[in-house]
Amino acid sequence: MRAYLEFAIKKFQDKMAYRLDFFMGIVNTAITILVYLCIYRALYGNAADVDGISYSMVATNFVITLGLSNAFHYNEMFLQDKIRDGSITNEFLKPVSFILRLLSENIGEGAFKIIFHFLPALGITILYTKLCPPESVLGLFAMFLSVVLGYLILWLISFIIQTWSFWLFSVWGIITIKNVFVSILSGSLLPLWFMPEALRGIISVTPFESIYFTPVRIYLGELEGMELLWALAVQIMWIAVLGLIANAFWKKGVKKLVVQGG
Amino acid sequence: MGEVRIALQSLKMSFSTRMQYRVDSLVAALAVFIRESANIIVIYLALLKFDSINGWNVNEMLFLFSILFLTYAFVVSLFADLRDFSRMIREGRFDRLLVRPRGLLFQLILNNADLIASVGHGTLGVLLFLVSAGKVGIHWNFATILYYVCAIISGILIQGGMFIIFSSLSFYFVETNSIREIFYWNMRKFAGYPISIYHKLIQGLIIYVIPFAFVNYFPAQYLLRKPDMVNYNEIYIYIAPLVGIIVYLAAYAFWRVSVKRYYSTGN
Repeated sequence: MRAYLEFAIKKFQDKMAYRLDFFMGIVNTAITILVYLCIYRALYGNAADVDGISYSMVATNFVITLGLSNAFHYNEMFLQDKIRDGSITNEFLKPVSFILRLLSENIGEGAFKIIFHFLPALGITILYTKLCPPESVLGLFAMFLSVVLGYLILWLISFIIQTWSFWLFSVWGIITIKNVFVSILSGSLLPLWFMPEALRGIISVTPFESIYFTPVRIYLGELEGMELLWALAVQIMWIAVLGLIANAFWKKGVKKLVVQGG
Repeated sequence: MGEVRIALQSLKMSFSTRMQYRVDSLVAALAVFIRESANIIVIYLALLKFDSINGWNVNEMLFLFSILFLTYAFVVSLFADLRDFSRMIREGRFDRLLVRPRGLLFQLILNNADLIASVGHGTLGVLLFLVSAGKVGIHWNFATILYYVCAIISGILIQGGMFIIFSSLSFYFVETNSIREIFYWNMRKFAGYPISIYHKLIQGLIIYVIPFAFVNYFPAQYLLRKPDMVNYNEIYIYIAPLVGIIVYLAAYAFWRVSVKRYYSTGN
């Protein structure tokens, strides 16, 4: 456990070394927030709410999902690069689990992005737009739990696709397509409240709803009591299913691996 | 005539390079297409719910987007080397061009075309144009077609000119990617939507500093005449097809001055 924590901290410190990146990250995040808030504002026009959803709720949904997707922004080509240049073999020699090491490094990087890109940008956003406050302390606590689960779901989806680099020449294209699916179907650009009924029905049986939308609804107080527990159970169920799939691909891939050259 | 032959040869080379990995290239082009469609799908779904954004309905929005993608398809095939210019300098590849008997910009523009991105953006642009152009009430006649073609060429020159300006900055600063990231890519995020929805400061930036408004917003206004045009001077929609030439000439002048400062990074 201690070793994995070190991996996470190391990655966090790595990131701290690039000051310019840090500054750029804040500017880019703030601008992205600004663009979408302007778009939502213009879509709402003079309406106070649409289908019972207020502008503040939409803005809150966007800001929270952006924060989480920021945390998830890391090098998804890592495994492919390791396989291509053969350095994956070194990983197998180390006395730590490769999967857990990758996860802890990604978490370390995500923590950096949240603290140094997202929170400052959030500070700027609060100055010019009114967001919804958390519904309750318990809700806030449940949301953090749900965020962690959502993160794991997203991480597993990414890892499954990364393992395909054992078989494919390049996974860049598939990763890009996956990211589009995630950004649309998880409601990070257009909140799921506004999706057409049919599409919403399909999304509800995929893991996408559990990624960002469940934490957001908990934060806004839309899910309480049994509903909340059920939503968390669905998240855990997806982690189990995706975890099994990821493990199967990983095992098969490692067995198939042939590294050329010495 | 020799120039045209070199241009065609170079395009053929870019094409052959990509065709070494046929399936991968196809998947990559599809990926670019889908990645760029994300914003379109979102605005489409949003307008199913909200009807219009500042008076622009869904077809008008698609038309506005289509210009952005069509022009960019040409920009990435012509100006790919200038897009990646700081890397080119760092790796010392720019020196190679210095010893060849042709103009530097000429070589940069003709070498390397990012055909994957070009196909991805181009297909999307054509598709959006076909879907929307017949439904937005434009009376297509000689005058409007001429205006449209000039506006597209101007849009290509504006973006190409900006790439040249950002590349020229590499002769003064080591790191220019962040400047470009802030001023080019972020402005492009704004440009897909009617600029009237933004804060005055951003509108100023996008009209006068990084003139994306002349790439798609003002040309679209000439053809569509949406009510939010009252916020701007009417003259902008008439000069839009000319802005490209001005930006490009300014960029060219700046390049000529800057390139004199070049010392190789190598030994």
